Amino acid sequence: MEILATFFNVGLVVATIRTTTPILLVALGGSFTTKAGIFNIGLEGQMLIAAFFAVIGSIWTGSSFGGMLIGVAAALAFALVYAVLVVSFRANEVVVGLALNILAGGMTISLMKAIFGTRGSVVGRGIVGLPKVQLPGARDILGPSYAQLISGYTPLVYVAFLSVPLLVLFYARTRLGLYLRVVGEKPEAAETLGISIARVRYIASLLCGLFAGLAGAHMSLGYITMFTENMSSGRGFMAVAILIFSAGDPLKVLLGCLLFGFADAFSLRLQILNFPSYLILAVPYAVALLALFALSWRTRPKLIRETLETMRNALAGKPQDSGGKLPSDNRP
Amino acid sequence: MDIAVKLQGITKRFDAFTANDRIDLSVRRGEIHAIIGENGAGKTTLMNVLFGLLQPDEGTISVNGKPLVVTSPAVAIAEGLGMVHQHFKLVPSLTVADNIFLGMEIRKRGLIDRKAQIEQARTLSRKFGLNVDPAERVAGLSVGIEQRIEILKVLARNARIIILDEPTAVLTPQESRDLFATLRSFVEDGMTVIFISHHLEEVMAVSDTITVLRDGRVVATRGKSELSKRELVRMMVGRDVSFDRRPRSPGSGRAVLSVSDLWARDDRRLPALKAVNLSVSAGEIVGIAGVAGNGQTELAEVLSGLRPASHGSALLHGKELLEHSPAEIRARGLAHVPGDRLARGVDGNATLSANMLMGRQRKQPYSRRGLIDWRAVDRETKALMQRFDIRARGPRDLASSLSGGNIQKVVLAREFTAGGDFLLIDQPTRGVDIGAQEAIHSEIMRQRADDKAILLISTQLDELAALADRILVMFEGRIMGEIDGAAMDEESIGLMMAGIDPVAAAEV
Amino acid sequence: MIASLLPRNLRRTLAGQLLALAIALALGAVVILMIDENPLRVFATLMRGAFGDSEKIAGTLLQTTPILICGVAACIGLRGGMFNVGIEGQLFLGGFAAAWVGFSFALPPVLHVLVAVAAAVAAGAAWVSVPAYFRVRFGANEVVSTILANYVAVLLTSYFTIFLFKRPGGWSETPPILPSAYLPELFSFSRLNIGLLIGLALAVATALFFRFTTTGYAVTMVGSAPKFAEYGGINVRRAGFGVLLASGAVGGLAGGVETLGVHHRFMEGFAPGFGFDGLIAALLANGSPIGTIFTALFFGALRAGSLLLEVDTTASREIITVIQALIILAVSADLLLRRKGDRTGGRRWKF
Repeated sequence: MEILATFFNVGLVVATIRTTTPILLVALGGSFTTKAGIFNIGLEGQMLIAAFFAVIGSIWTGSSFGGMLIGVAAALAFALVYAVLVVSFRANEVVVGLALNILAGGMTISLMKAIFGTRGSVVGRGIVGLPKVQLPGARDILGPSYAQLISGYTPLVYVAFLSVPLLVLFYARTRLGLYLRVVGEKPEAAETLGISIARVRYIASLLCGLFAGLAGAHMSLGYITMFTENMSSGRGFMAVAILIFSAGDPLKVLLGCLLFGFADAFSLRLQILNFPSYLILAVPYAVALLALFALSWRTRPKLIRETLETMRNALAGKPQDSGGKLPSDNRP
Repeated sequence: MDIAVKLQGITKRFDAFTANDRIDLSVRRGEIHAIIGENGAGKTTLMNVLFGLLQPDEGTISVNGKPLVVTSPAVAIAEGLGMVHQHFKLVPSLTVADNIFLGMEIRKRGLIDRKAQIEQARTLSRKFGLNVDPAERVAGLSVGIEQRIEILKVLARNARIIILDEPTAVLTPQESRDLFATLRSFVEDGMTVIFISHHLEEVMAVSDTITVLRDGRVVATRGKSELSKRELVRMMVGRDVSFDRRPRSPGSGRAVLSVSDLWARDDRRLPALKAVNLSVSAGEIVGIAGVAGNGQTELAEVLSGLRPASHGSALLHGKELLEHSPAEIRARGLAHVPGDRLARGVDGNATLSANMLMGRQRKQPYSRRGLIDWRAVDRETKALMQRFDIRARGPRDLASSLSGGNIQKVVLAREFTAGGDFLLIDQPTRGVDIGAQEAIHSEIMRQRADDKAILLISTQLDELAALADRILVMFEGRIMGEIDGAAMDEESIGLMMAGIDPVAAAEV
Repeated sequence: MIASLLPRNLRRTLAGQLLALAIALALGAVVILMIDENPLRVFATLMRGAFGDSEKIAGTLLQTTPILICGVAACIGLRGGMFNVGIEGQLFLGGFAAAWVGFSFALPPVLHVLVAVAAAVAAGAAWVSVPAYFRVRFGANEVVSTILANYVAVLLTSYFTIFLFKRPGGWSETPPILPSAYLPELFSFSRLNIGLLIGLALAVATALFFRFTTTGYAVTMVGSAPKFAEYGGINVRRAGFGVLLASGAVGGLAGGVETLGVHHRFMEGFAPGFGFDGLIAALLANGSPIGTIFTALFFGALRAGSLLLEVDTTASREIITVIQALIILAVSADLLLRRKGDRTGGRRWKF
């Protein structure tokens, strides 16, 4: 029991929220491109380049906010290159995404060597981390031990979680959100109605860059204030895995990200039990893989169930009602 | 005379190909003006130019007497033009109302006002007698309803000149009749309808004025009363053609394929085939008629092993073919000319030789011990190109460089010489020019004379009338009834295509 | 016969690649200026490091070897319409498996090498088999699953190395393999070994396989027109699975060759980035194994040259990664090479 208590406590929830934040931000960014019909494997690179430039920016401007802005600007630059190649030049999106990831890796290391004269990582040197927001009154309402559940995070944590309902609203009720969906689902419909597919996809790519940039800034200026080679360590790819099985739906994205955040936070706690660190580090990737496989497999029983249902209706001689009978989730 | 649309000297070229050649067209206000011509005559190109989807290389457009440079559909829409495309452009996950107002959303405080959209869509549908439920999702609605939504989309944009591109291609004869009534009511309200078709009967039935296009040029514009069907055909194709019934001798009658109680699902997991029974004998052509999308594709896919059946049996030479792979079914005698020839029938990026090799790559003389003899393949391909009159420079040409008719001949050549005695032929002449059509029909008749068993799926009734010994009509996955090919009458087939019981149909 | 192995529109392809190369090098020069170095000096150093003398050339070929083998692995996948981005992981596992056989068993010389190579091949194939199964059976995206598997593979081999098989007293590496498992070296002055010849032979054999065998034909058709292949009686799923498995096996082989020929042990992070370099080389060669020989040589030269770069200039050797990425971006945008299958929804692996 005692051991369970050391694992499952308020601290774990707080840690989950913290570790969820960067992947949630980048996955929400990817939701724009996913909805607009672009398979964006370049999230990883956008995040990494933003993390690096956020560090540079915070040293340069002496403020974490300035750092964040410069990090976002770097991610936007990458997103713009991505959009130019994929949307305007109609290049293969996987190739471009992978190349940009590789570019981000090489560029950050080269620039680190050129600017700081070091390899590996940049610590200290005047990097300013993001402030922690203490919500007034949280302590009075929830008491000291539970106040940390909602208070004391960096601003980007709140941005990430508040973005989820905002994105739901965005896709359901705003013109741009609707156009994103149309462009992803039925581009020829957009074309004939005078909606520019290219413009919508550019906007989606740039929105994606904005969020990936915030994710990167959170990585290097959030709870640890440093930049390390390849510090995004596959989070962008995990986000892509989440996007595949959520189809970019913000609520499903949130669920997927919480799963990874939890796996991340939980695996760190496993270190207490002297599990080999290499295996622990592999846990989030393994979870991502398992989720990807399990959710691709899951479509099967559902398929059979639906089939039996429609067969039964047909055999019972019921007229085939054409309206609203489609499985709500017929995307892969 | 009040002219709604005037096109003068419109020329549109695609590389070396001239799709529209100095076309002049005047459409009077308040008429239904049909533009008729064969596939590839330039009808759709012309309308896309008028609607701003394509820019003409030469020529001028004026709408309501006002000269206009239509740089985009937005310009056309602003002038009161509206277009209903052949392939519907609706977003399945959105509601009917969302689709109608897409691009001109009603908003309140920056957010889309769902309620107001549904309300207005309802008003609109009542006003024009186009019955739809605006709150419903589009996914799963029938094509007839989808077309109504497309028309409402155009009406919501205050269109007074409506262009319809091949609107009846996906409709049953009865649905088409409803559509024509709607179009009539539009012109009575003072609107103008431009109606594109390659179907003689309906053009004669509904239009006031007819313009015939051939090879990108205007052949004639006449009032309907000044034209006979025969004249119209001659103008369309440039010569007299007959799709009269091909002469035939009786086949041997040996049963080759027999299908009983066959069920299968479509890609959306809904039943696509329901209790299908049919049989095909050697030396017989059995036609499958029906509006596209009533299970014909699924039937072909199940019989060729590309789609699992959920129930039933299909015996080829007395042996079950369900649950067997396409390769096994082919080995037992199936040859298959697929309906979607560009995706299924060829690889456009491969050479003609590589396309001919498909399915026989493990057979001598094409390969020996797993090694392909490309010279033998080229030789055989050359021979087939000659025999089937395939126009290409050589066997190393890419398939995508050929015309539609020649690509289809590649498929036929490969399939008809593969040694199978059961031919499954799906839409053999869709998108193929008249000359090639006749050659293809003759080849099919030759195969019949060779005592092959042929199942011919077609949406073109004249094609079935010319070729089939018996015709089965499919509707929503069921065989509605059987008709003797020699005694086919279009009205009763039409009823069956609309899903009306054959017994009742016989009484009508 | 060799001519028939080259891409059909060779001249256009070459013109396109060269133009892209020029653009990429120009952009690379800009990046080098950004880090306060002289582009000409960097390029000259790269060239000197790659081709300065026979030892340097051997060094270039030494770097080329794993890139070439990984490139062939990628070509196999691309031909069958599969994006195996997991070559890096297969390389690591293959490398470890070969090392394990090399230090754990005492076998006669030639046999030892063969068994170790077989273990590498099997490990690579086994590692890709799970993503491959879910790809062909349930359509789980192979790009993402193989990328994620890379991270697991690297961590897993690190775990094996450090926790299970650590050389006593050593840093994070396994015990050395027995000399009986060494791949024979080609020259006395370099560790360059017959791995290069294996790679060259593999590239030619792969090209011949795709051109002249019925299975190669079937796989090519599955890659370029899956629906047509299915219709023609080819088992598309089996072909896809086989392609990924073969690709993974060759990826594993690359690791085995690297272990048995160069390092003679497995160590943490033993061959970083070769898998990705191979993939890029294959993409640059448009999926042609013969073309990959040249692109792999090019990337090998960049890598070898970059070693001198760190000594002679202030630039870091990762600058070549930047140049490689820029080349790919430039090539991907090249208008001379239209990407195919855009509207038909076919798989697009060509640019």
